[in-house]
Amino acid sequence: MKVKYIIIGLFACLGAVASAQEDTQGRAVYGTFGDRRIINTQSIETLPARKLDFRIAHRFGDLAGDSGGWPTFYGLENAADVLIGFEYGLTDNITLGLGRTKGSGPLKQLINMFVKYKVLSQGLNNMPVSVAVVGLTSASTMQKSETEGVLHFFESPIHRWNYHLGIHAARKFNDRLSAQLTGSWTYRNIVPAEDQNAIVSLGFAGKAQLTKAIGIIIDTSVPLSSFRTSENGFYPVLGLGVEFTTGGGHSFQMNFTNVEGLSETDFIPYSQSNIGDGEFRLGFTISRLFNL
Amino acid sequence: MISRISIIIISIVALTIGLSFDIERAYDTNGDIRLYKALASIGYRSVDHLPDTSVKGLSAAVGEDIVKYGISKREGENKSKRQSKHFVCTSCHNIEREDPDLSVSDPEARLAYTLDKGIPLLPATTLYGAVNRTSFYNGDYEKKYGDLVKPARDDIREAIQLCAVECAQGRKLHDWEVESVLAYLWTLDLKLNDLMMTDTEKQTVATALDGEGKEIDAIQILESKYLKYSPAHFVDPMERGKNKFNITGNAQNGQKVYENSCFHCHYRNKYSYFNLDNSRLTFSFLENKADKYSRYSIYEVIRHGTFSKHGKASYMPRFPKEKMSDQQIEDLRAYINLMAE
Repeated sequence: MKVKYIIIGLFACLGAVASAQEDTQGRAVYGTFGDRRIINTQSIETLPARKLDFRIAHRFGDLAGDSGGWPTFYGLENAADVLIGFEYGLTDNITLGLGRTKGSGPLKQLINMFVKYKVLSQGLNNMPVSVAVVGLTSASTMQKSETEGVLHFFESPIHRWNYHLGIHAARKFNDRLSAQLTGSWTYRNIVPAEDQNAIVSLGFAGKAQLTKAIGIIIDTSVPLSSFRTSENGFYPVLGLGVEFTTGGGHSFQMNFTNVEGLSETDFIPYSQSNIGDGEFRLGFTISRLFNL
Repeated sequence: MISRISIIIISIVALTIGLSFDIERAYDTNGDIRLYKALASIGYRSVDHLPDTSVKGLSAAVGEDIVKYGISKREGENKSKRQSKHFVCTSCHNIEREDPDLSVSDPEARLAYTLDKGIPLLPATTLYGAVNRTSFYNGDYEKKYGDLVKPARDDIREAIQLCAVECAQGRKLHDWEVESVLAYLWTLDLKLNDLMMTDTEKQTVATALDGEGKEIDAIQILESKYLKYSPAHFVDPMERGKNKFNITGNAQNGQKVYENSCFHCHYRNKYSYFNLDNSRLTFSFLENKADKYSRYSIYEVIRHGTFSKHGKASYMPRFPKEKMSDQQIEDLRAYINLMAE
């Protein structure tokens, strides 16, 4: 419950500083975040029309704890998850995404497809926030198991599919500070017996821009579920990173996060790494834009 | 000798028999006398690159679409492939008149004029009046494009193709597209009212056009009132720190350069991935980089530009001294310093 109060408090803060809106002369606020993703969470940013984004993201193994340390060179010799994907700006407000992730949960070899639609833009019609909706579906392409009872037994082909819907509201307070709140619903067609198919979660993300090129980013996501507690081995999603924007169409990000997965259908339901036990990892994302 | 009335009659006849194109009109839609027709009427053919009306699909409207949006569509066919993924003609060229006096190329006067008209200050010459010129890719553009400029120097069609392939980093235009662009450019040709003439000169020209004066005098007057080519001199960046030209920047003018020139491509990443805005972070970045020998230094990037390379075709064109003066660059520096404080 404590988490709920924190989230409600953050919403209240967002409203309280709403008067500090950037002067945009009636135009939409630009560059709330530097990338379409913050660390783990999607941001409200969409690609401009006809731009193609090629991205590679990587999550290494545990930096410390039982699986980290010197034997794995602090996790750098393990790959918890890898994403190779493309995003394309269909219009300035609609972005399509297609990517493959290795997968860190029980279902692996994932093909992830998403549509992001920027519904509202901060600054237009005195709108205090920008709002984007993301619909994502993820399909596991891993080989069907012969062992009944495991998730990838895939009794029905529908069991390969997972879904995620996220609503993101973000505000750029000034040139240095941006924040985002996220409400999301994640659904898996097949889960372990004691688990739940649908997970509702709330998230918060922020960016503090230090220089034109460098920003500090954080994000977190907390499932609103009595089952997903630390007693049951689940932990909130946490991420802290540095974002570099070169100005040449490149974006580079280094981060530390406790979750292993890169897809929402992976890192939200399977957030089972405890930072307190050293179960956090280095990650990076490289993004390159192309004109199409 | 052809009087104004004769020009109109000839135009009507030509239109009626279907042999003419817009160029045959002696007057534009505002009633201004077209320079080309005026010169022709007193026996001087100033240029000979009229559109080839026998080309199927020729259309000034299609030419306008190519120039403004990089797309074209010939009647009965599908839309053609976008000319360039990176730029359109208007990324670097205005399509309006941009100089108060067409007989000189003065970036200071141009900045004031473009601000007044609400158009940007750009590194390339306006397409307004392009068809009245006889030479293209002049001066130091040979240093940048080498032998590629040779066929384009005296041939507007080759100049259009060079612009499409090298400047816009796009595909070569089809013949009908080139002719359509040319047809559109002919809708942007100079009119007599564009030329700065004294009352006496106007009288001399008017008398000649009416068939009662000396044509040679009128031709000399008209030909001296606009540039037949666009001069371009590439110069080195100013030596930073030493300010060898002993120029003091004016921040107020610098703001005009920043917002009317830099913003054209960089504001909200319009043509560039390097975004410029009015944030202090941006000005601090530009101030810190100004004295470096890198593409992020305003001195370096304005005078040298950046170059297209494999995998990153879009680039920033350089500003010849006729397009941005040393004074304007130093004004820009003063504005950046002020805003970074």
